[in-house]
Amino acid sequence: MTEVLKHSADATTVEEGLAIQEEQARFDSAQATAVAMQNTLLTPRFYTTDFDELDAVDVSNVRKDWDTLIARMKSDPNKGHFKKNEDWDDVDWENMEPDLKKEFIDFLISSCTAEFSGCVLYKEMKRRGKNKDVTQLFQLMARDEARHAGFINDALREAGVAVNLGFLTQKKKYTYFRPKFIYYATYLSEKIGYARYITIFRHLEANPEYRFHPIFKWFQEWCNDEFSHGEAFALLMKTDPRLTSGVNVYWIKFFLTAVYATMFVRDHQRPVFHKALGVDPDWYAYEVFKKTSKLSEQIFPLTLDIDHPRWQSTLEAIYRANVDLADATKKKQILRKLGAQLRAGWGFFSLMLIPSKRNDVPVSTCLEPIY
Amino acid sequence: MGFFSKEVEYHPCEVEVSHCFESLHAHVKFLDGSVVKPGDEVIVQGPEVMAPYGSVVREQREAVIYRASKIEELWTRLTGDFEIMELCEFSFSEEVTL
Repeated sequence: MTEVLKHSADATTVEEGLAIQEEQARFDSAQATAVAMQNTLLTPRFYTTDFDELDAVDVSNVRKDWDTLIARMKSDPNKGHFKKNEDWDDVDWENMEPDLKKEFIDFLISSCTAEFSGCVLYKEMKRRGKNKDVTQLFQLMARDEARHAGFINDALREAGVAVNLGFLTQKKKYTYFRPKFIYYATYLSEKIGYARYITIFRHLEANPEYRFHPIFKWFQEWCNDEFSHGEAFALLMKTDPRLTSGVNVYWIKFFLTAVYATMFVRDHQRPVFHKALGVDPDWYAYEVFKKTSKLSEQIFPLTLDIDHPRWQSTLEAIYRANVDLADATKKKQILRKLGAQLRAGWGFFSLMLIPSKRNDVPVSTCLEPIY
Repeated sequence: MGFFSKEVEYHPCEVEVSHCFESLHAHVKFLDGSVVKPGDEVIVQGPEVMAPYGSVVREQREAVIYRASKIEELWTRLTGDFEIMELCEFSFSEEVTL
């Protein structure tokens, strides 16, 4: 039913756009009462951090790069990109293989929630901070995340999934992260996000017959935003050398290992999605790790040895342990569950024991999205 | 704030929910400048704030902050970091099978 409605992005005038949106709003409420759409409540998490520490950030040693990056983000090169145009082909949701549809919708909802949570986190940092450099950056990043979320939401609506934003009236607890952990985790998340999207984008450029949904055509602009956000976190880390030295080197190794291992496990849990794209998850993981490692040389004093003989086999062991863990949990087999947890934990520890490669961080931090 | 006891506070707030193509977001702003600390819980009073597709809803509401006791705040500060991986985006949910 959705396809008979014209999209606001197709409107030529403001009036037309508003009229279409109004029409869609009516359509949405009618749908919601008919419970025809699958209703998905977005459940973002809420965070606090040490705002005094954030206010104390001094970007003067990276001022030139910082100002260039902020100016570019302010000029908003991707404004208008996240609109559907003639490249947005019709999607045959009705005839999509059910397993693929399930995995693809999981992809859309998870991505939408992640963008949404990013938006909430960045907005909170913007609102609570007093340091103008920092608040300006977080405001710009919140804008991008909200835009991405809106774009994915649109694709979800086409698939008959309505996103419910009613979570504000539910009780939610604020947890706490130290600023440095936010830097490591979000820096890596943004850069690995770039590597993930661009790898799929290039693969589909060469093999367009595997592009089963038009959203993949927008991956390039999308991941360029992720790239810029990563640049900003790299510069933030550059402002304080202590963030990338001493005991923090071990934290960085921990985060790299955790992010790579989690990605490997989650991707292997979605075989139908990857098969439909014509992507071998092992090849994909290796490509993404390679790119992310290369990019992270801009700021991290080490890279993981992804060519080590134990690397791939240990990741596979963690994946198998995770499958067993879920099965044992479902069947309430306590001992088997404990065994699986130990195997997964041991696997992770074993990855951490693989010697990492030292990296001499370059003087100039900034990079361009060249992949 | 007590060491073990929780306190309940009521504060005016503004809720903004945008359900648009250009931006999908939802924020709460306390109008009296109150701030939330680790371990606090917040709930916006009243019915669900629903924005139909294509609209931005801005409403003034009352929010309840359940202040964490000092011990809970400390605990959240100490242990919150364990959940940090939530900030990373992996495209898929953690469910092994769907």
